[in-house]
This record gives sequence, C-alpha cells and structure tokens, in this order.
Amino acid sequence: MTDKKIKNIFVEGAISTSFIADSIAKHSSKKEIGGHSIFLGQVRADDIDGKVVSAIDYTAYQETALAQMHEIREAIFNKYPLTCMHVYQSLGTIKVGEICLFVFTSSAHRKPAIAACEEIVERLKAELPIWGKEIFEDGTHQWKENK
Amino acid sequence: MEINILSFGKIAEFITINRLDTDEIFDTDGLKQQLEKTYPQLKEIKYKLALNKQIVQKNIELLPGDVVAIMPPFSGG
Repeated sequence: MTDKKIKNIFVEGAISTSFIADSIAKHSSKKEIGGHSIFLGQVRADDIDGKVVSAIDYTAYQETALAQMHEIREAIFNKYPLTCMHVYQSLGTIKVGEICLFVFTSSAHRKPAIAACEEIVERLKAELPIWGKEIFEDGTHQWKENK
Repeated sequence: MEINILSFGKIAEFITINRLDTDEIFDTDGLKQQLEKTYPQLKEIKYKLALNKQIVQKNIELLPGDVVAIMPPFSGG
C-alpha cells in the first residue's frame, strides 16, 4: 500500500482550485473509496500590531522535509486503512486568499480519512522544516511561527 | 576541521556564512556553543540542527565536510 520512493510535496506558487478539482476527479475510478477528507490552508490577512499581512513567502530545507514527510506517510498508512494520501505544500510567495497547503485523504469509510487528514496537517506543521515569511502591505516582514 | 553551514528562515538573516573552519569543535553541542557565542541572537530562538540532512536529537560527533543546517521553529502549512 505504501510507496517506497520519496514523493515530492512541494509546488512552486499557489495551489490552484482547478488543480484541486482535478485531483478529486481523478479518484472517481477508485470504486472502493467511500469518503474523502480535504484540508486546504489559505493565506490569511493577519493584522499584527496594525500591520496587515499581504503574502507569505515559503522556503524549506527540501530534502530533509521530504524525508520527514516520507516517515509521516508510512506511519499514517500503517495507522489508518487509507486508499490514498496526497499532500501539496507551496513554496515561494503566496498572496492572501490563495491556497498554500492541500492535504487529501481517501478511505472506504469517512472516519479514517478525516482522522488521517487532521493528523497529517498537525504533523506537517510541527515536523517539517518549512518556514513562512509574512510579508506586510508596507513591505516589511516577520517570520511566522506555528502554534 | 571544515564544516558546511546552511541557515534557514530568520536565522539566515544573521548567520550568512556557509563554512566554518575550526580546530575547537568536535560535536554538535560544541558547534551550538560556538554559534551562540558568535551570534548571541541565536540564544533567543528555539532552533534545531540537522546533520547531513538528519534532524539532530542528541549530541553527535562532527566529521570534516559534514553539512549542518541551523533551523528556526518550523512554520509550514
């Protein structure tokens, strides 16, 4: 069930809604699936001390992040009866309102898909060496920290 | 001994060297001490090291040519 080769999760730029729609459509031939769970991360116009975020610039230590994601993927497939798992994280500058994270899990029944999706998002945020630089409307920046 | 240095995120704004040549560093704990002495700002950050792409969990011996990444708290997603 699990893939042995290390999959790339990084995409340059925002994740388009047409890409997300196509990903969903590709699963219509997998007749054993009964439920999908999707998490979409969107860049928020945070107001920090009167300054408003206009974009987040994402960078990553890519090889280490992909190795870490591979471990998470294996652990999730061992823990939940999933049919599919897809993870996409943006790199580069993503504007407010655009999608920067797409996590998509599928299983025969809803509960494993929902639980796995949530666990992937939490682990990705905590364990993958990825950094978001919040760019304010006035051109200054600060480094985001996950809570 | 020569060690390759990679810095990320806000740490890359003040640690801009890519190489460290020293005879006084033997392990990752020693490297941390040296870095915190040279860059006091580092002490304010909960950073992690990766040695040759593996995240460092405990003190590890360094060898010439090793690649050490200095990583601030993650903020992906």
